[in-house]
Amino acid sequence: MTAASTPRPGKVAARRVGARQEALAGYALVAVPMLLFLVLNIGSILYAAFISVWRWNIRTGPQQFLGLDNYVKALNDPIFQSAVTNTVYYTVIWVPLTMALGLFLAVIVNQKIRGKTFFRGAFYFPSIASSAAISTIWIFILNPFGLFNEVRGALGLNPLFSLLGYDANQDWLGDYHTAMNGVIILNAWTTSGTFMIFYLASLQAIPHEVYEAAAIDGAGAWDTFRRVTFPLLRPGHFFVATVGIIGGLQLFDQAVQIGNVDGAPANSLMTLVLYLYNAAFKRVQYGYAAAIGVVLFVIIFSATLIQRRIFEGREPTTA
Amino acid sequence: MRYRFLTLSFAVMFLAAACGGGTSSGAPSTGGTGSNAPAGSESAFDPASISGSVTLGQWASSPQEVQALTGAVAGFSAAYPNIKVTQTTITGDYRAAMVTKFGASDPPDLFYINAEYAPEWMSQGYLLSLDDYIDRQGFDISKFFPDYLSIFQQDGTTYGLPKDGNTIAMAVNTDLVPTPPTTMDELVQVATSLKGKPGLKAPMCLNPSLDRGLAFVYAQGGSLLTDDGSASAIDSAASKTAVQWYMDLFKNGLGQTNTQLGDGWCGEALGKGDVAIAFEGGWLKGAMDAFPKIKWQFAEMPTGTSGKKVTINYTAAYGIGNDSKNKDQAWVLMQYLTGPEGMAKWTSGGIAVPSRSDVAVPTGFEIIVKGADYAKPGSGFMPGYPDVLKAFGDAFLKQVTDKKYDAGPVVDATKAAITSALAAQ
Repeated sequence: MTAASTPRPGKVAARRVGARQEALAGYALVAVPMLLFLVLNIGSILYAAFISVWRWNIRTGPQQFLGLDNYVKALNDPIFQSAVTNTVYYTVIWVPLTMALGLFLAVIVNQKIRGKTFFRGAFYFPSIASSAAISTIWIFILNPFGLFNEVRGALGLNPLFSLLGYDANQDWLGDYHTAMNGVIILNAWTTSGTFMIFYLASLQAIPHEVYEAAAIDGAGAWDTFRRVTFPLLRPGHFFVATVGIIGGLQLFDQAVQIGNVDGAPANSLMTLVLYLYNAAFKRVQYGYAAAIGVVLFVIIFSATLIQRRIFEGREPTTA
Repeated sequence: MRYRFLTLSFAVMFLAAACGGGTSSGAPSTGGTGSNAPAGSESAFDPASISGSVTLGQWASSPQEVQALTGAVAGFSAAYPNIKVTQTTITGDYRAAMVTKFGASDPPDLFYINAEYAPEWMSQGYLLSLDDYIDRQGFDISKFFPDYLSIFQQDGTTYGLPKDGNTIAMAVNTDLVPTPPTTMDELVQVATSLKGKPGLKAPMCLNPSLDRGLAFVYAQGGSLLTDDGSASAIDSAASKTAVQWYMDLFKNGLGQTNTQLGDGWCGEALGKGDVAIAFEGGWLKGAMDAFPKIKWQFAEMPTGTSGKKVTINYTAAYGIGNDSKNKDQAWVLMQYLTGPEGMAKWTSGGIAVPSRSDVAVPTGFEIIVKGADYAKPGSGFMPGYPDVLKAFGDAFLKQVTDKKYDAGPVVDATKAAITSALAAQ
């Protein structure tokens, strides 16, 4: 990939003449999306930060300057605290789980097996189905009298579950102890297809020669995966983890569909974005909602920076 | 190039700051009211003299609702041919969609306001005071049930007129409960006798929150607020006893939540025969059409230790935005739809029950309308009530889920929420 763009010595002088024009054209083309980005993204972020230091009426604007009061209020607000805890818990469990699942599926469909196109399609399907439809099906499956409880009863697994404290008609999504895990499993299932596609692209970028060399050295399948495939997938890991963490910290729709806007049952599905929505549209406290938005921005931004630092140090290529 | 980008980004920052500054300099510090009163406010207002157009914003809980409202609007168009009505159904989260419209200074001319968020909308200055129109036209508001109207009034000003109402009643499966209980003691007896009945998942479907629990708190002489509304009363002896009584229904296996029963709501639980008793409003009637096998009837809420009949009501109103474009036309439509003729047309659609005492009761809703005489508001009666509702519901559900059944933490959490809601006023 890098070989194609290396300039040959004889062409350098000719290139220098056109380079300026080319650069100008490039910047001109970039300017339009850049302007939109600055106004719509950076502008909104700055405006939100401005709103967050006021008591703000959406119809008439600022009412009272509060300084950092909205932030202090957030830090002392028990529902905000549980929103942070829930969101972080979700992300910490869901991202590695979905990455593992996505990688596993990608390795399977990357084999030379019959019908691999079918499997790729089948594994990817939950990702393109509407989240509302999938969530509704999930609610039916985990209903106290639903498929999951019926099947485990029929398989005679109930004694095992009762050891863990769950009775035969456990209300998985209505019990505040288990609802979030229900959402994690649902989203791990539906998103693993997307992660599979990302990993598949990375897997196919690994040159064949490496595998041949490993085979000549006598590496078995597991050793090849652990010592060759897995480390060479580092750019893939970085990309998938970044996308996953950003998405995980913004959990909203499944939480609303399975619980409700209040983060039911008992705040166990209250996420940061959902709480922001509550502050803005339910309590009409726009300054407070903006402060929550800024906090969410800081959390996502720092998570991404930390992650970048972790992966950057040992990255084999800049791709 | 780098400098150019820096300049550009600074320009954007200034732009953002300027926008903010501009808004702040021109904005009044509180939601204005009187300033938007129509010109010539002393003169009498004759609805028949008004012409033009008006937009009507509504939610649509069902196709029947749209049909019923279209019927009422047709009646208006016949009575006021000079005003053209455009109905717009707001889909999705009505409250959120409307709040963004208020923010954009572009609300529909006339729109629904649910009791739940009426206090916030009034104090945020979204709504136009109706006092001027009411006075100038001499519109009689005394026929509205007072506990419906009071929700849309703040500091003596009326911001909305109730378009309809509903009260919570007891719905019983008549095969299993031929004689509905009239007191709460009888209710417990009947439920106990139904316990373990084959085919029945539980005797009652119970809502683990104040949405129904409040009726039982009132029935036992308890309350959320002191009489003057200035302090919490959920920690009074009567309230605590009432919350524990409601909790004990779960503890003794007399009731379960709709999710424990595996149903979407308690009406579905009654319709599917999972329970024999549920507590719902007039909306249950239409929903039960889907379950023709179940024989059922409404009965008045059983009386508690207070000995008085009591239940809770839910209502919604029509309101006009401070920024609505066609205020006069909106008022004309509002006084028709909330007047005797328009409300009779609307409530004949079988969706809702009249909020006025001078409109005939649609068949099958007698118990629901009877309740309006003695019902107390089930929402919208205090600022920040959604937070109180949530605090009670979350704490209550935790007690039920963990099988602890202790009213103490529920009362404490609710009291804390009431105190902070009243302090935020």
